[in-house]
Amino acid sequence: MERVLLKNIDNRNSADISEYEKIGGYSSLRKALGIQPKDIIEEVKKSGLRGRGGAGFPTGMKWAFAAADPKFPKYLLCNADEGEPGTFKDRPILEKNPHLLIEGMVISAYALGAEYSYIYLRGEYPSAKDILNKAISQAVKKGYLGNNILGKGFKLHLSVHQGAGAYICGEETALIESLEGFRGQPRIKPPFPVNVGAWNMPTVINNVETLSNIPYILQAGGDVYSKIGSKDCPGPKLYCISGHVKRPGVYELPMGTILREIIYTHAGGIKGGKKLKAVIPGGISTPVLPADQIDCPMDFISMSKSGSMLGSGAIIVMDESVCMVKVLYRAMKFFEHESCGKCTPCREGTGWLSSIIGRIENGKGKKEDIELLSDVAGNISGKTFCPLGDGAATVSMSMIKHFRDEFEEHIKGGCKYKILHNVIPA
Amino acid sequence: MITVTINGKEVRLEKPITIFEAAEMHGIKIPHFCYHPLLEKWGGCRMCLVEVEKMPKLQTSCTLYVTDGMVVKTESEEISKARKAMLEFLLINHPLDCPFCDKAGECDLQNSTTLYGASAGRFEEGKRRHPENINDPLIVRNMERCISCTRCVRMCDGVQGASAISMVNRSNKTFVEPFSGGRYNCEYCGNCLTVCPVGAIMSRLHRHAYRPWQMEEEVKTVCAYCGVGCSFVLQVRENNIVRIMPKPEVGINKGILCAKGYFGYGYIQSSKRLTSPLIKRGWKLEPTTWDEALTIVANRLTEIKKKFGGESIGGIASARCTNEDNYVFQKFVRACLGSNNIDSIVRTGFAVAQRYIEDVIGQGATANIISGIPHSEGIIVIGGDPTHINPVLGVQVREAFRRGAKVFAIGYNPGLERHRTHNISYYPFTESTLLSYLVSKLATIKELSGENKSFESKINNFKGATLKDVEKVCRINGSDLNRIIKELSSISSVSLIIGPDIVQRTDVRTNLFLLTAIAYMLNARIYLLAEKPNEQGVIDMGCLPDTLPGGRPLDIESFRKRDEELWGYEIPPKPGLTVFEMIEGANSGSLKALYIMGGNPLYNLPDNAFVKSSIQNLEFLVVQDIFLSETAEIADVVLPSLGWVEKEGTYTNLERRIQRLRKSLDRQGMEDWRILSEIGKKMGFKIQYDSSLDIMKEISTVSPLHSGLTYDDLDKGLDVWPYKGTPLRHKLGAGDWPLTKSWSPSGKEKLYLTIEKHMFLSGTMSRYSTALNSIYQEPCAKINNDVAERSGVKDGEMVTIKTEKAQIILPIKIDRNIPDFTVLLTNNFIEKGAMGLIPYKIDPITKTPAIDGCEIKILKREYE
Amino acid sequence: MFSKSAIKEIEEIRAKYPDSRSALLPALYIAQREYGWLTPEAMESVASALNIPSAIVKGVSTFYAMFKHKQMGRHLIQLCTNISCMILGAETLVDFLKNKYGLEEGGITPNGRFSLVIMECIGGCDVAPVMLVDNDFYGNLTEEKIENILGRYQ
Ligand SMILES: Cc1cc2nc3c(=O)[nH]c(=O)nc-3n(C[C@H](O)[C@H](O)[C@H](O)COP(=O)(O)O)c2cc1C
Ligand code: SF4
Ligand code: FES
Repeated sequence: MERVLLKNIDNRNSADISEYEKIGGYSSLRKALGIQPKDIIEEVKKSGLRGRGGAGFPTGMKWAFAAADPKFPKYLLCNADEGEPGTFKDRPILEKNPHLLIEGMVISAYALGAEYSYIYLRGEYPSAKDILNKAISQAVKKGYLGNNILGKGFKLHLSVHQGAGAYICGEETALIESLEGFRGQPRIKPPFPVNVGAWNMPTVINNVETLSNIPYILQAGGDVYSKIGSKDCPGPKLYCISGHVKRPGVYELPMGTILREIIYTHAGGIKGGKKLKAVIPGGISTPVLPADQIDCPMDFISMSKSGSMLGSGAIIVMDESVCMVKVLYRAMKFFEHESCGKCTPCREGTGWLSSIIGRIENGKGKKEDIELLSDVAGNISGKTFCPLGDGAATVSMSMIKHFRDEFEEHIKGGCKYKILHNVIPA
Repeated sequence: MITVTINGKEVRLEKPITIFEAAEMHGIKIPHFCYHPLLEKWGGCRMCLVEVEKMPKLQTSCTLYVTDGMVVKTESEEISKARKAMLEFLLINHPLDCPFCDKAGECDLQNSTTLYGASAGRFEEGKRRHPENINDPLIVRNMERCISCTRCVRMCDGVQGASAISMVNRSNKTFVEPFSGGRYNCEYCGNCLTVCPVGAIMSRLHRHAYRPWQMEEEVKTVCAYCGVGCSFVLQVRENNIVRIMPKPEVGINKGILCAKGYFGYGYIQSSKRLTSPLIKRGWKLEPTTWDEALTIVANRLTEIKKKFGGESIGGIASARCTNEDNYVFQKFVRACLGSNNIDSIVRTGFAVAQRYIEDVIGQGATANIISGIPHSEGIIVIGGDPTHINPVLGVQVREAFRRGAKVFAIGYNPGLERHRTHNISYYPFTESTLLSYLVSKLATIKELSGENKSFESKINNFKGATLKDVEKVCRINGSDLNRIIKELSSISSVSLIIGPDIVQRTDVRTNLFLLTAIAYMLNARIYLLAEKPNEQGVIDMGCLPDTLPGGRPLDIESFRKRDEELWGYEIPPKPGLTVFEMIEGANSGSLKALYIMGGNPLYNLPDNAFVKSSIQNLEFLVVQDIFLSETAEIADVVLPSLGWVEKEGTYTNLERRIQRLRKSLDRQGMEDWRILSEIGKKMGFKIQYDSSLDIMKEISTVSPLHSGLTYDDLDKGLDVWPYKGTPLRHKLGAGDWPLTKSWSPSGKEKLYLTIEKHMFLSGTMSRYSTALNSIYQEPCAKINNDVAERSGVKDGEMVTIKTEKAQIILPIKIDRNIPDFTVLLTNNFIEKGAMGLIPYKIDPITKTPAIDGCEIKILKREYE
Repeated sequence: MFSKSAIKEIEEIRAKYPDSRSALLPALYIAQREYGWLTPEAMESVASALNIPSAIVKGVSTFYAMFKHKQMGRHLIQLCTNISCMILGAETLVDFLKNKYGLEEGGITPNGRFSLVIMECIGGCDVAPVMLVDNDFYGNLTEEKIENILGRYQ
């Protein structure tokens, strides 16, 4: 497959505007500005593009909602919070192909009629901030951004807004709160951001990868795009794979590539001749899959049929040396630490879960603890304000479902893996 | 029309509301923690979960709006299990200290736990530790008990607008804190305490002093501090107020209070209260019996009346006393003493402004409902900071701002610092110049309605200052001002909030003309701020030298005759003296006796020394009060009266609503009206009443405005203007007071005294509240950084503050927000009052004191 | 109070947003840079620069892990221990930092040179284990490599 998102990425100067222009960069924008905004939205709808931030919501539909709202001004926000552990797929775009994102954003903003736009960038990517800022000023100089873009009278101001270490700010309404200078806690929905978003105005929030698909859709046409990859969720997809594989990294493959193929063909299989034990397919908020369940296509619909989720496409591969109780413990500490504190079940429940898992891991578990764990997870599940707490519960349940014996063995005889102390953020 | 089914019952609704509210309307209770009717929706506690058909998950009823055809269940096994789970989650970090907790018995968490039988027995690890914080004098914070419902924070930030506390940290490490982590630096409205569902934030005033179920009595009454007239429930035990409980469902304040209302009640139980009558023997006041004191008063007044005539005696009424007290007082002065010399401190603001406005716009022009303020599109504030003078009204202005209203704050309004769109500040005391330009300019923009032709011609003929004048005199940027005026002129729903300061100016008449013109041109609703609870009542009861009860002019014979007939006593036909004329009369010797009910002119009127020497000149002074005030100290007879919660009666608030006070404490002694009628009896007059009810009955026959009004009517909600009465309908006047004009720049820059009206202070009452004194501990002179620099003084430095009249020693407090050329002083603390420093001139027509332009010096005290 | 240049910087940032509150996070970064950490004075400076109540500034800043509310070392080591890093040995590196440099999570070396903060995923899982030293990113860490790298930060 021709690379769409990571094209030119091996070029050392790929982040520079002239390199980007050399390979045809910003020609989609030129084309877009000659088309009616509503036709661009039509084209995106036709492409079948679904959001790459995790939820897989059809992008064209989201845009159409916001465009239909008569309120003005409207805002376009790019979600570059990339906080889901195991995820590093947006990073190559941000650091090596920033103009692709910028071009995608200008086109999107034009389609929506937005004049101000922000990239909400996680605080943990300081170098991306500098690269983006440089790219933005290059684009302004060349007239791709500013008050009269390419002389067509369209205006867009783009700035980078830096987050400060809060996973929840990847959730779209928490992101808005954070952008507006508040504690990053999710808002009540409805109303949805497409109607009442940033500064209470219609707002579209899209993931970095989602927006980076736009130039190609404009260039090749929605129809061509919709033929790439899975039928119901087409397009190229960035899979980021880490853990015990030979060639960890970001792979641009057609949506729906089989998980096994990604692990064994692209990432070179398991390192050091060990056996595969488990895979977290879409970041640690997605249910774990045991070694024998990795033959599913990696797209939104197929993954949810297989009992997990595509999530952010962050594949964490674990070999036989890994203790699953410990993995769950570390994951739960993450949820506890990142719970925004707004809703009771997540705020109190994640802490409780991690203390139960912690005592099991540390050899102090009791027979009833597995039941207690499931029960507490069940009490969280479906009752939280946003999907973060839910994720914590589902992940726990999947771990118990697939690795129950390991929990029982821990309770009987402690952890038989190389025991390390547990290091977690304060 | 929306139809929803809740628990099998069909419910019809006009407009979409939340499931929670719909259920509540129909008597279905849903347990909850984070929901509160006054607060923005939150949806965090997850306690109010319900089942909604076609929705896969349980839904929070407090956030989900009903839609047509929705089918909801508020109880089921699944719901119970979920609620029990939420309680279990909350309890894992909540101490089980109910036996020690003041909230026990009225704690939402405790109550729900009993209901659902949850426990935290399955949680084994240690609970979060967080030592109780008692670094604040009034508020105790126990963050182990906090359930993170954020109600207090949403109240502080989203309703009160003080934003003094915040949730800090995230996850299960979250708790509530003021910036300092200890002491609050806030408005002490206490509203956070009101909404806390558990014992996490509580008042220190009654710590460990009660159990809710031991409360003997609960009385709904109104606050006696200011003219808003907030309601709350008083809880009483062993004849003492234990605490004040605001209730969202009662009163115009809907459960919101301010520092004075919430924490300031202690004065009523002060050990400094007067308990027995005092009479002067030699130079000293000594306790005596009621009989002796009353006899002396009756005899002396009779003598003086006989010898010098009724016009040699005066009475000063009180906006802290009830309508019933004031009604009886003016009747006593008019009928028993034969004098129209009756006035009050309301003269210095409210009464005069209202007189002028009503003349031009009509009686009732200022009777506007406070709850209408948030619906304004524009608000003009001038003459005093609403947040400080009438705090709960100020909260409405903030609410309007939040809803998008333009707030034009003219002058020093620290309470609106973050709640205004325009801040118009100017060289001290030059508002008449500013307003004159504003009026001339508006007149060129706005079309006039034609309602009051003669006033309109006055507006049209008026020549205000030019923009150049304004720039020079007020030191305002002219083009900014023009922009503001343009914005203002395009707003359709305007509220004009007028504070008392604007009256106490040399240009009082011009100011009132200009403000009335603005109100007229913008068709604005007018609100007159009232520092005291019953300023309107004093006016309506006829405590003015030229006005009878119900606002009827004394000089119209038919009105006078009617009252004479009803009373059976004569009323002198000639209007009497105003307050300042009485002081002058005392000074010149034409006034021989003065009867002061609930007032402290010696401290509250400017130029204390002059007032004192004048009063000392009297042959006879009676002061009726609950404390031995500065004025009482020099009286011949001091009569202790009953306070606010010790008697029945009514107050009329600034929106002209009449509200009932309820007796909740039993005290020995007499109400003000009873003392007066006892004296009347001894003087041979029949002005006897058994109860305040009796007086109300008489008021409702004498005052056409209150005609037929009963306490029951008030309880039923017939409490707003014009009640069942007949307002005075007369020809609209042209506002014919001659105007003064003074728009020329003052010579060299000076430093001026301005009185600080602070929300923690309230003249003589707040002095005796230990709670209020703990948050505004000592008087100080507040100046900005520039003034400090020019005067060469530092924050905290003791300095001598000197005017042509007097001097006092005070510490400096620097605050960058205070206007330049200004020294702010309070008039509250004993021997440190600012009024004593100010010379005054009386306006010949309004008879109000001009206290503007008082030059002041800050002297360093290095040589002492 | 802020330096003139910091005030100017904040003013410029503020102009990018429809309201001044939105400049809060950027202003907190500036305050952290100017004061080293968010001292009460630093937070009050932000509060007055943006006319936001100081309690709110505190509430917001304590929500975010990257705003520091206590003294930090001259150089900040931010080491990830989330799952991808953990299974590739991040925890031994924590031990190493402790034994070799006396660094505890959240702590500071006695000479004030380094502070250690344990991070959630910082998006470098392909080269796990990873860390940030100040704004510089380092992957494929080993004990020797860390020693080498830290030598460059005095
Ligand atoms: C707890 C949580 C964390 C999230 N983090 C991210 C993130 O880091 N990056 C992202 O793009 N979307 C994230 N999302 C998804 C966003 O809420 C939102 O769906 C997405 O930005 C929409 O963009 P898309 O339609 O292009 O996917 C997160 C959602 C949740 C509930
Ligand atoms: S589930 Fe609740 S506490 Fe957790 S992050 Fe979402 S809103 Fe915050
Ligand atoms: S009351 Fe509904 S979630 Fe708290």
